[in-house]
Amino acid sequence: MESLNEIKRDTLLALLSQGKRPDGRGMHDYRKVNLQPGILQNPEGSAIASIGKSQVMAGIKFDVAKPFPDRPAEGVLSTSADLLPLASHLFETGPPSEEAIELARVVDRGIRSANIVDLGSFYIDEEKVLALYIDLFILDHDGNLIDTAALAAMSALLSARMPKVENGKIIRGEYTGRLPVKEKVVACTFGKLGGQTFLDPSLDEEKGMDCRLTLATTPSHLCAAQKGGWGTVTEKDLTELLDISMQKGNELRSLLRD
Amino acid sequence: MDRESRIVMPGELVADGPERISYAYVENGKTYSTVVGLFSEGKLVPLEGPYEPLPDDLIVGIISEVRFSGYSVDTNSPYVGFLSSREIRERFGMGDVIFARIVKVDEVKNMDIGDAKKLPEGRLVRVSSVKIPRIIGKKNSMVDMIRANTGCEVIAGRNGYVWITGKGDSNLAEKAIRMIEAQAHTHGLTDRVAAYLKSRRKA
Amino acid sequence: MGGNSAEKPALLTDGRRVDGRGVEDLRPVKIVARVLNDAEGSAYIEWGKNKILAGIYGPRECIPRHDQSLYRAVVKCRYNMAPFSGAEEHGRSGPNRRSKELSKVIKEAFENVIISENFPKTEISIFVEVLQSDGGTRCAAVTAAAVALADAGIPMKDLISAVAVCKIDGQMAVDPGKEEDNFGESDMPIAFSPRTGEVLLFQMDGMLTREELARGLELARNAASKIRAVQVEAIKKVYDEPKEDRFLLIG
Repeated sequence: MESLNEIKRDTLLALLSQGKRPDGRGMHDYRKVNLQPGILQNPEGSAIASIGKSQVMAGIKFDVAKPFPDRPAEGVLSTSADLLPLASHLFETGPPSEEAIELARVVDRGIRSANIVDLGSFYIDEEKVLALYIDLFILDHDGNLIDTAALAAMSALLSARMPKVENGKIIRGEYTGRLPVKEKVVACTFGKLGGQTFLDPSLDEEKGMDCRLTLATTPSHLCAAQKGGWGTVTEKDLTELLDISMQKGNELRSLLRD
Repeated sequence: MDRESRIVMPGELVADGPERISYAYVENGKTYSTVVGLFSEGKLVPLEGPYEPLPDDLIVGIISEVRFSGYSVDTNSPYVGFLSSREIRERFGMGDVIFARIVKVDEVKNMDIGDAKKLPEGRLVRVSSVKIPRIIGKKNSMVDMIRANTGCEVIAGRNGYVWITGKGDSNLAEKAIRMIEAQAHTHGLTDRVAAYLKSRRKA
Repeated sequence: MGGNSAEKPALLTDGRRVDGRGVEDLRPVKIVARVLNDAEGSAYIEWGKNKILAGIYGPRECIPRHDQSLYRAVVKCRYNMAPFSGAEEHGRSGPNRRSKELSKVIKEAFENVIISENFPKTEISIFVEVLQSDGGTRCAAVTAAAVALADAGIPMKDLISAVAVCKIDGQMAVDPGKEEDNFGESDMPIAFSPRTGEVLLFQMDGMLTREELARGLELARNAASKIRAVQVEAIKKVYDEPKEDRFLLIG
């Protein structure tokens, strides 16, 4: 309802000008985070992550595939996201929306830039490599799906096992050990309205805010960024928010099991 | 839940003969529940369900469209209400929140809204409409208690839109409303809400 | 159905099936209601290794408008499998032809029980997502969706459930697992309205005699009443242990 959005913007602006958020959180506080790694048996890796009332499931599946022609010795990494219609009255059935595509690509970018999975080790032979599919199933939308999905993906990767490959085929149900993961990448998303920035926007805040900035980090580097929505961010915003992301990122990282 | 009342499932028998009971249906001379509800003393109260607008319901609505001769009103139902300009003296704008009465509902659920007055600035909490009576309380006892402990006015529309207004602790008011919504069917709720509000009240 | 008969394992040995069950035994079934925050109603079911989530929206405005009925709510259903749900390859996103067929038969089952006349011009949407599949997903889907609809307070004539029966090594057995699905001689999923015994979903493949069909229906009916007890327990738990926030907790 567009009219509800208008209410949210004015209310949010009023609260932010008093240094408050609708649910009483601090400007740079996450809602409660919960992780459930390795909860499915069929995929090689899986996890559910929840931030507040947002819930995302990630599944990791391996398949044997043809490598990309420009990278013949590397495995394939592919991330996709489904904003399931049961997750929100805002989601419709149909092909992936631009929101779903953006979400998948932002999560993918963090994992890929930081090279946390060694795609070179997925080589099987001249025509075959392993493909690692990360599927993000958005189950429940209460804002900040990017950070929730990134946590689910990271948690699923950390829980994943390498499948046994024999004669160029995967033997399902048999594994050769854990998937080696170099580092933990997490995403921190901020909302901005009226000059004020705030971490982990809830759906209510998303409906009222101007723009969104996501910064994905490893313990030492920024590895992906995405600005969404309308409105602008300043250079000061970028450096300040990067500092906060590094710090908050470490808090999230500590929740991910090794 | 009362000793006397029991929780019934859809399709469960509530009367051996054909009775006119809300939320129940009659088939082959017997009456069955259509919902998950509490059944006691011949009355069936649903524990959950969508808002079904009835004439004389007092609701909180949101102006969703300004039209030529009036306004469209979001009533937290799949049906849009119409508020004629002739019914009111004020002018409203998009997004204005009103407290109003449902005057008429026709067979395809088109609604006429009247007696509308604009509500002051505040925030909206959307709850399951079947819990509203409990949120209001007997003779407004619950909303009065929330006001006394938070400094906020709570205007609960029968349609499940609850408007919190005033300069008090609106967060605490919302939390209390959510607590009542979750435990509406239980005993001793009033005391628990009172205790919760007292413990969280800022001095 | 349709595995290579040369590789076919013995499905029944001394009255015991490959997973040790007797012909009348169901796999373990667990249901939790009210696991999602935005959906009006929801339920999660574990049936054997199946893990399935059902969510309900509505009654809400029916879009597109030309689908609307002036007399009742239109019931819609989408059954979908996650790309990571199978034991074999990675699947694609979105419903395939099988999923679309199942969406239709599940929708039609519920159209019989949802009291839709109260909500003209609206739609009531049933969404089922298979997170992990292990044979018998459509029966688990119907069973979970019924709980989700009850959770949403959608008025219904009955709380329905579904169970499949199969023929393995010449014997009728209830609730086929994956291997029995693949190598059995017949597969017959059935949804019942427990109050009247009416059949709301009925499909079948393979070859059955009249006696085998009767035996299968009897097995299914008995199993359906056991499933109903699990559904009712899940619904009651929502009110016995009220929570403000909902979470999907697995395993």
